[in-house]
Amino acid sequence: MITLTLKQQPTVPLEAENICPDVVAGLTHDAVRALPVYHGKRQCRLDEFFDVGQAFQPDGQAGKPNLRTDEATELEIHGDCSRVKWIGRGMTRGRIKVVGNAGMHLGSGMTGGVIEVTGNASDWVGAEMKDGLIRIHGNAGGQVGAAYRGSLAGMAGGTILIGGNAGLEVGMRMKRGIIAVGGVVRDFAGLQMKGGTLVLLGGAEIRTGAWMFRGTIVSLKPIKLLPTFSYSCEYEPSFLRIYAKHLRTLGVTIPIDGGMYQRFTGDTSLPGKGEILVWQAQS
Amino acid sequence: MIYWGGNPAECHPRHFTKYTIMQKGKYTQNGRKDRTMVLVDIRETPSAKAANLFLQIRPGKDFELITALRALIKGQRVNEDAVNETGLPLSKLEELVAKMKAARFGVIFFGMGLSMTRGKHMNSAAVLMLAAEMNAFTKFVAMPMRGHGNVTGADVVMRYTTGYPFGVNLCRGYPRFNPGEFSTVDLLVRGDVDACLVLGADPGATMPQPGIDHLAKIPTIVLDPKVTHTSRLARVHITTAATGVSAPGTVYRMDEIPLPLRPALKSPYPTDEEVVRRIREAVKRRPAWLPGRNGKAVM
Repeated sequence: MITLTLKQQPTVPLEAENICPDVVAGLTHDAVRALPVYHGKRQCRLDEFFDVGQAFQPDGQAGKPNLRTDEATELEIHGDCSRVKWIGRGMTRGRIKVVGNAGMHLGSGMTGGVIEVTGNASDWVGAEMKDGLIRIHGNAGGQVGAAYRGSLAGMAGGTILIGGNAGLEVGMRMKRGIIAVGGVVRDFAGLQMKGGTLVLLGGAEIRTGAWMFRGTIVSLKPIKLLPTFSYSCEYEPSFLRIYAKHLRTLGVTIPIDGGMYQRFTGDTSLPGKGEILVWQAQS
Repeated sequence: MIYWGGNPAECHPRHFTKYTIMQKGKYTQNGRKDRTMVLVDIRETPSAKAANLFLQIRPGKDFELITALRALIKGQRVNEDAVNETGLPLSKLEELVAKMKAARFGVIFFGMGLSMTRGKHMNSAAVLMLAAEMNAFTKFVAMPMRGHGNVTGADVVMRYTTGYPFGVNLCRGYPRFNPGEFSTVDLLVRGDVDACLVLGADPGATMPQPGIDHLAKIPTIVLDPKVTHTSRLARVHITTAATGVSAPGTVYRMDEIPLPLRPALKSPYPTDEEVVRRIREAVKRRPAWLPGRNGKAVM
């Protein structure tokens, strides 16, 4: 495992897309320390901001690349990295653990592997990701799993789990995959959604599911809906049982028994075939 | 003619007479009589007197309303209770839709009451979508009512130089666009910049407090003909000639028509252009930061 410890807080955001298992795997200690990061307009070395742990040479062969690729693809980052952007961009394998906060674009476009953040993350977590798992224990910013501006589709697969709250436009234009948020999400959750599942355990502010085309939003709290959503029925969706079983393995519990789900369909302004399921506990 | 979230009678006083409702056109020989004006706002402003139909809505309900209109023009169902919460009954909305569809050429002007309230860019996006979709029935366009002098010019020039109108980052040597990440207000509020050059704007008067605090902390340079709120908290203020009065240039009208300016007076101060050009020449003499530029790798 390679340990990176933030030793100096960047004065402006640091763009560190090279903090990624795919880049680091197979590199020597010196090569990892010399990886370029961008501090504003200036190109710097990774070791100007991070202490790169020595522990990375498991068999003490200094100057030789790591022999065991499974160890070389594990990264642990310590410190408040809330100004370090693009960690794990486009990663395909391995594991990144951030002990502290993470900055914008965490795991954007990733196609595999696992990212875990013990603190908070910023905007664009897992934007346009295709596969893999991102777990944030604290809060996340806006545009989780979203499409970049001008892009047609957001996340196309994978899972994003957020323990705390999330910001605006969560799951904007997402196409496939699951996002589960433990806390409250702000406006425009599931904006222009094209597919996939958004699970809101703590409910949402306003305009949830705006302009959604397809996909499912599950809310365990009553939410305010747009005029373009209409009530269809109250039922027990059988697919949700399978989802609940899957989510339980990831540590997310959604209720199945002891109540029903109210189904709302919309957004008729497109017109779309999306659904919003709101949990109704039996009284 | 729909004005949404704006007060043209007071904020753009010549808009009615010079451009929109009063002018006579080839197909509108009778001027005002041939036109229908609708005003949508949260309060009855003096502009309401000029309107054929005034629709007063509850604050922060614009997005809901426009989305409902988008559904109605396609003949889709909407939830009547949720529509009533916007402050307008469904019948009024249907009346508006009928008026819009009956128009030969419709235009929606949207003001800051729409683009600067909750929902922000999505409110503007909703209006633009509505106008785009109305083209299935009749000709329709949407245009923002800009608040300050030559904002359109800044957008147009940014667009043809970088490909994006605003929120552009050039740090990596190529333009990247991401409003929310690179827009001025977000950069300042998060404290993501360590220097600031203010040109023809007064963020010290309009930004949220954390942004103003950050402006005071970092080296801020202001170019302005007069002392502004921002100059008071800036390290450097360079007095420049007032554009249009004592400096020539080009401004873009709200509909993106470039208008040349001829100065009437002479000014002892340099123009904005001259100051920026001189700063640029001084910066050019410094070594490049990107590796591979000027054959030098600079760390």
